[in-house]
Amino acid sequence: MTFTPTELEAEGAAGGEATGDPASSSPPASGRRLVRAFMRDRAAVACAAYILVVVLMALTAPLQVLLSGYGPLEFDQSAVDPNLGGLPLGWGGGIGADHWFGVEPGNGRDIFARIVYGARVSMTIALLATALTSTLGVVFGLIAGYFGGRTDMVISRIMEFLMAFPALIFMIAVLSALPAENRQALLVVVISFFGWPYLARIVRGQTMSLKQREFVESAKASGASSAQIIFKEILPNLSSTIIVMTTLAVPGYVGTEAGLSFLGVGVVPPTPSWGQMIASSVSWYAVDPAYFLFPGAFLFLLVLSFTVLGDRIKKIAESGEARS
Amino acid sequence: MIRFLANRLLGMAVVLFLVCLFTYVIFFVLSPDPAVQICGKNCTPEAIDQIRANLGLDQPFWQQFWTFLSGLFVGRTYGTGANAVECVAPCLGYSFQSSQPVTGMILQRLPVSATVAIGAAVLWLLAGVSAGLVSAVREGKFTDRFITGLTLTGMSVPNYVLALSLQFLLVVTLGWLPFPQAVPFSEDPLQWFMNFLMPWIVLSIGAAAVYTRLTRANVIETLQENYVRTARAKGLSPGLVWRRHALRPALTPIVTIFGMDFAGLLGGALITETVFGLNGVGKLAADSITKNDQPVIMGVTLLAAFLVVVGNMVVDLLYTAIDPRVRVGSAA
Amino acid sequence: MLKKLTRAPAALLAAALLLTGCSGGQNDASGTAGDDPVSGGTIHMLQNADFSYLDPARGWDGGVNAFYRLVYRGLTMQAAGDAEDPNAIVPDMAESLGTASEDGLTWTYTLKDGLKFDNGDPITSTELAFGISRAWDPEIGIGSPWLKNTIAAPEDYLGPYQSGEHPGIETPDEKTIVFHLIEPFPEFDSVLAQPNAVPFPVGTGAGDEFINDIVASGPYTLETYTPGSLIKLVRNEHWDPDTDDVRKAYPDAWQFEIGLDGATIDERLIAGQGADQNAISGKVQPATLARLQSPDLADRVETAEAYCVTYMGMDTTEAPFDKLEVRQAMNYAIDRTSLQTASGGNQLALPATTIIPDAVNGHKDFDLYPSEGNNGDPEKAQELLASVGLEDGFSFTLDIRSQPIMQAQAESIQQALAKINVDVQLNVIDTSTYYETIGTPSQMHDAAITGWCPDWPSSSSTMVPPLVDGRVITEKGNTNIGLFDDPEINARIDEIRAMTDLDAANEAWGDFDEQVMALAPMVPLLQEPSVFLPGENIANYIPNTSMTDLTIVGLKDPSAG
Repeated sequence: MTFTPTELEAEGAAGGEATGDPASSSPPASGRRLVRAFMRDRAAVACAAYILVVVLMALTAPLQVLLSGYGPLEFDQSAVDPNLGGLPLGWGGGIGADHWFGVEPGNGRDIFARIVYGARVSMTIALLATALTSTLGVVFGLIAGYFGGRTDMVISRIMEFLMAFPALIFMIAVLSALPAENRQALLVVVISFFGWPYLARIVRGQTMSLKQREFVESAKASGASSAQIIFKEILPNLSSTIIVMTTLAVPGYVGTEAGLSFLGVGVVPPTPSWGQMIASSVSWYAVDPAYFLFPGAFLFLLVLSFTVLGDRIKKIAESGEARS
Repeated sequence: MIRFLANRLLGMAVVLFLVCLFTYVIFFVLSPDPAVQICGKNCTPEAIDQIRANLGLDQPFWQQFWTFLSGLFVGRTYGTGANAVECVAPCLGYSFQSSQPVTGMILQRLPVSATVAIGAAVLWLLAGVSAGLVSAVREGKFTDRFITGLTLTGMSVPNYVLALSLQFLLVVTLGWLPFPQAVPFSEDPLQWFMNFLMPWIVLSIGAAAVYTRLTRANVIETLQENYVRTARAKGLSPGLVWRRHALRPALTPIVTIFGMDFAGLLGGALITETVFGLNGVGKLAADSITKNDQPVIMGVTLLAAFLVVVGNMVVDLLYTAIDPRVRVGSAA
Repeated sequence: MLKKLTRAPAALLAAALLLTGCSGGQNDASGTAGDDPVSGGTIHMLQNADFSYLDPARGWDGGVNAFYRLVYRGLTMQAAGDAEDPNAIVPDMAESLGTASEDGLTWTYTLKDGLKFDNGDPITSTELAFGISRAWDPEIGIGSPWLKNTIAAPEDYLGPYQSGEHPGIETPDEKTIVFHLIEPFPEFDSVLAQPNAVPFPVGTGAGDEFINDIVASGPYTLETYTPGSLIKLVRNEHWDPDTDDVRKAYPDAWQFEIGLDGATIDERLIAGQGADQNAISGKVQPATLARLQSPDLADRVETAEAYCVTYMGMDTTEAPFDKLEVRQAMNYAIDRTSLQTASGGNQLALPATTIIPDAVNGHKDFDLYPSEGNNGDPEKAQELLASVGLEDGFSFTLDIRSQPIMQAQAESIQQALAKINVDVQLNVIDTSTYYETIGTPSQMHDAAITGWCPDWPSSSSTMVPPLVDGRVITEKGNTNIGLFDDPEINARIDEIRAMTDLDAANEAWGDFDEQVMALAPMVPLLQEPSVFLPGENIANYIPNTSMTDLTIVGLKDPSAG
């Protein structure tokens, strides 16, 4: 979660500007071509597969827990050693037929169940935040770019203001001061609130140049309303940019949620979250590395998969491959 | 130029004012009553009222906000009589929990934060740009793909996961590095370096990855520009083409991003400082959050916002100096 | 009459975060003191949180009290950590303990010769009276309330800075100081051992003067203080060891390194690189226990008894806990062994069946609601519930703090009570507002898990009464969270408090504990002892969960590290 906003921005700069002024290039690739090109990319497919697995895990969590036999909140005092401060009994943090990924030290909660339920939290928050951010970013970006003038100035100033904010410190401060109910919805709102300007800025820039293109001019001449032009003419042309930016945003939000939970202001215990698990594994990693490795690896791989996926989609969208 | 500068300064002032106002409103609403915190363990309602009056907490919001703002420029006094406390400008507030002026608390922590931030910035700039260059030169080859893979990994690893892994590996298991402590450079340069190395690596890795990608993309693109091709066609030596025509334009965007990233580091160092127990400004913010010490959180937020805004401004000016066309563009 | 609710958590927290250790030292000190402490060197203290205040009129918790002992002196003090009874109160700057008048309302003390501040100025009764009167300042005197609770002062007295000299403290000459009390208080020597009963030069310490700098009277003085990061103490050259029977002050300097993560502290102590062999810290993390099995580390380990009790308070004014049988059934049903595991295992938790912990003077061993292996006796509990028509059980809400161990404890209670058809709903409250919430009777639910420690361990007079005295119930900052109010109990509290023979009083407190527990206003759950790992070069470290005596710790070899 270190550089979430800047990363996006940098990527945005590289993706949006470095590839040249969109006004001078042909309309971006269509969705179907993207898919075809995508299927040929092994790394991308592998990442997509991993993401799918996590999504499935999240969706079917209650079912899997039924299979594994332990719920995410269930204590199993028989799996830990009371003489050693609650260290899990057995190899690898208590890995075995009973507990597939071992147990948490101290209370003996099943790590598999917590990972699976943690995936739920992680994916829900990241996807909802992405959806909200994208909506806000696209809408405000379109409005600012299309109408220009004073509207643009106001929106641009707001964006500048939000981007000047030390988002992380502020998010933590606000979250720590707010009541704990509905923490997940709150996380989504807070993350999106600081996240949308990064997408809006790029959408705004592209809208500004698209606005001057012939097909927009001719639509205008034929008497189409502003709303029609924005949604029928401009928006479709931004689809690949939006897809790329959105995919690139998801890993940032996965990381942000985990990071906030790691710092203790995210999801409220006992609801499982990967970031929280990593935080509580800190004192144990020397004696029970598995407790750190499981959530650490799941989180890292998820962020990596989204990053690689976003990277590949961007490349495909930019390259002529999709257009051929 | 002067008009542009004045405009930018005004814009900056507006943004900073809004940041102040927004932050103040939020914390005004959310913050627990400082009077209760001061009053402490055996407190009576009368005592609380007394303290509220002393600190001006019974005044309306705008009055308090004005006092706060003016405190930034001319300082202010908390309380009255024998127990009055002077808070000199720029007064960012007063922590009632630790009975310290916030400005002082931040200043005490700034050297550690600066050490962490500057070291990390140097590291990511060096590593990012050089890896990006190598990658661009070897475009499509194994080295390029290897570096690209590394950058994706670097961008994806959450820095607390990296910090914990490094600490476990390098300190606990191998014993190559000490548990990071803020050893002053003047005391022992070698120990200083050893202690700060891990925080630098952790803090720089994400940015280094981004800079590698940026450098690579920019250099590859520049190399395809007509004037570079022309220069090559004219038979200039590759070294000269690189230095004179490819590098400069390719690295200009890096400068802009660097300014903002560096300014934003205060917030970014929060996790790194917390995980390694380094008493910098980020750790101060994290500690204050756990203690619910709102004035300190507000002070750090304001300072961080100030640095970002100033960083933006400096970058804009630099950019204008390098490339005068920007002036026209940014007027829109 | 005293509201110590917010302090109890502070003390618990401090005990948890900072110092501590082994009053077990009384018995096994000989085992660990193979190498004796030598004068010189620097001892490092690694800690997570900063001290609350350097100003003793403001701070009042186990961690900072231990620190105050290094830099401040009072008329009396708690005995050395290696004394036969480390809880006892002994003279410090006074020639002897106080002499009470016939009516118990006037206490007189005589100062020793050769007492000086760190600036070389002599300490006389005037400076002492001035320092003590700071406790009445509304903004500064936020520490221990005991001076204000016992010494007579006009209602409008607001400390030396606003109201001048304290009318209840007389200084007939330089060596003599006389206190006039509100009412007889046989344990007044303990009051003067509180951290805020220390001398300061007249006129100093107004406002935030002692926030960053202090005037020391003890063996050390402040060299540097960086709030939240570092405290360095060096010797106070004007402290005369001949005037001090308790403090040994072996090291030349102290360095408190603050802001470290608990896990990092343990790692550093285990690794013991460089100066870390001269380091001590608070109790180790549960995770570290498993690593202390290796012989060389096991040798260094010190343990300390608990001075606090963790208990479940029940609202005795409302159904179902208004019935004695129900409360007794709870006491039978709780599975203390499972609670113990949930709290970090048997090194960090012991079943509690009494209110007064073993380490506090006055403790009496009894278990009115016994069960095999402390696993609880659901049958007996079921019988009791059936006797009042609750054989089908009931449901109640338990307030808990959002903290993993407490949650684990609550879950254990949930499981144990499920066996007698009692359904426990957990109400998780954020740590920052927890004690405030349960201290407000209108906000507390049916029951809550919390802890209590005595203000001084030399007697149980501050251990049981605040939890069961019906007359201390208030709308906010309530300590008697069960709202238990029994005339017989209230009367007995007054009787024991009036006893001037403190040993007899302590014995009476033990019996009183049993008398209270027969009425079961609460369920004692656990005593939570601690484990400590001092550095290899540390000698005579006797950690204590109430307050560790840092003044007797030293290095075996001052040149090492």
